[in-house]
Amino acid sequence: MKVDVTFDSAAFSVDAVKMACYRFLDRFTSDIELREGRIVCHLDFGDKLAGPSPDAHVESFKKEVLDQDLRLKLKAETEPIRNLILAHAFSKTGLIADE
Amino acid sequence: MSEFHQIASYKPRSPNYRLLPFRFTELNDHDYVATNLAGEYLVLAKDVVPKLINHQLPTDDPLYTELRARHFLTDHTTAIASDLLAIKVRTRYERLANFTSLHMFVVTLRCEHSCQYCQVSRQSDNKLQFDMSLADADAALGLALRSPSPYIKIEFQGGEPLLNTDLIRHIVTEAERRKADKEIEFVIATNLALINPEFLAFCSEHDIKISTSLDGPRDLHNRNRPRPGNDSYEKTINGIRVVRAALGRNKVSALMTTTEASLSRVKDIVDEYLAQEFSGIFLRPLSPYGFAIRTKSYMKYNTERWLDFYKQGLECIIALNKQGIGFREFYASTILAKMLTSGDPGYVDLMSPSGIGIAAVVYNYDGYVYASDESRMLAEMGDQHFRLGHVRENSYDDIFLSPKLLKPIEDSFAYSNPMCHDCAFEPYCGADPVFHWALNKDYIGRKPESEFCRRNMAIFQHLIGLMHGDGFIRQLFLKWANRC
Repeated sequence: MKVDVTFDSAAFSVDAVKMACYRFLDRFTSDIELREGRIVCHLDFGDKLAGPSPDAHVESFKKEVLDQDLRLKLKAETEPIRNLILAHAFSKTGLIADE
Repeated sequence: MSEFHQIASYKPRSPNYRLLPFRFTELNDHDYVATNLAGEYLVLAKDVVPKLINHQLPTDDPLYTELRARHFLTDHTTAIASDLLAIKVRTRYERLANFTSLHMFVVTLRCEHSCQYCQVSRQSDNKLQFDMSLADADAALGLALRSPSPYIKIEFQGGEPLLNTDLIRHIVTEAERRKADKEIEFVIATNLALINPEFLAFCSEHDIKISTSLDGPRDLHNRNRPRPGNDSYEKTINGIRVVRAALGRNKVSALMTTTEASLSRVKDIVDEYLAQEFSGIFLRPLSPYGFAIRTKSYMKYNTERWLDFYKQGLECIIALNKQGIGFREFYASTILAKMLTSGDPGYVDLMSPSGIGIAAVVYNYDGYVYASDESRMLAEMGDQHFRLGHVRENSYDDIFLSPKLLKPIEDSFAYSNPMCHDCAFEPYCGADPVFHWALNKDYIGRKPESEFCRRNMAIFQHLIGLMHGDGFIRQLFLKWANRC
């Protein structure tokens, strides 16, 4: 089964849609197309879908895009600390040479 | 027109607050779980999160104060918030700076058991070429003592390590002679079938702890763990008794492994642990290594069946506590310590950056160094991807700066992995590159398809759901978290 889902690119970023597609990769494969100010997702459920109906997955997918959009907004306002944590992890080992 | 304003006009305006980093993930149809940088969590109704992120949450909302107190947001009244959060984050990652604290010595791969699910691919007990040499043991000890950690744990593994007690005696004696100001704890992971009074006296003298295997009641244990005489259970129970008599009650702990035959027996298994007077149990799934793969034991149940087993076990244990019988589940306790305290118990599977090499390391019987216990299990299956070097041929720097160690740690760091980086449960979860390598030949795996992710996410959601709905369970879990 194949379903197209469309988002307005003025309201959602392609990154938010891509991250939502990734989160659903165990349920459908997706092609993303940019067309006239819209983000069109071609979702393909194949023939192995178990559990809820495709409609239920599409509904969850749309909610997930909203969540991802919020996450991006949150991320932009706060700072990643990855390098700080890794530097801390190795700080006492004597394995990192002074700059 | 009234000379007074409406009451609403006296309410505080939408505040000028600043968001602190946090993540949110669905808990159920109505709620999200949100976690801050230090791993503290809040359950938030779904309509609250957009308001919060869009700076529309009024200061008189009851949640505002809680969000501020838990470092999800900061405003002009909380100048110290970011410093407090930094302290909590530092505390959370404190363990990392000490580097490798767990050093596992595989003193022999020989074993007199023939368990179908053996994850280390043991050898029969007459093949002496599978014993660690004295020279390799001395060199491995040198590497262990080079660790910057002021506290190290030396764990003797097998095979069955009691088949090579001479080498255990040598390593313990040498470690104590060469330890300088380090504190060293010794543990032997043994099935106890070969324990004897003379060796117990040595254990007593050197404060050695024992970790054994107990899979459940007699029939289940003996079915899982065959040995000549079909008396593994009797040997283990007798061993536990004599160890307690010689070393003290708290010097022996036990681990179980879940086979397909265990799945319908969780109450029996818990009852067996109670009967043997243990204070808790670690409900553990099989791992995809060694004979567990070759004999297809690993494939005999899926994540969903194991989760049902785990949840039933937890329910059974909570019911015991409600009757006044104190008993814990140790996996939950480890996760709860991460959820409810600033500390991290340092359980290797639930660490990010991954604990391979930097929290635990294995010196194998043949002198090769592996990044984790699972890495050497994988090597016995022919995949030496996580072999970091040899104790006598490579230096400490060669081994611990090896790209074979650094690349999987860096690549699998959950903070920057797809789906993990925005998952509210990341502070409780782990990277486990060896598990994903074993199954996918990739350090990360696709998280929506990852059994590791599915299993742990389900447990995190289950534990938070239980606490959210039941004050008794919340108090019980706090107790477990603080004793971990």
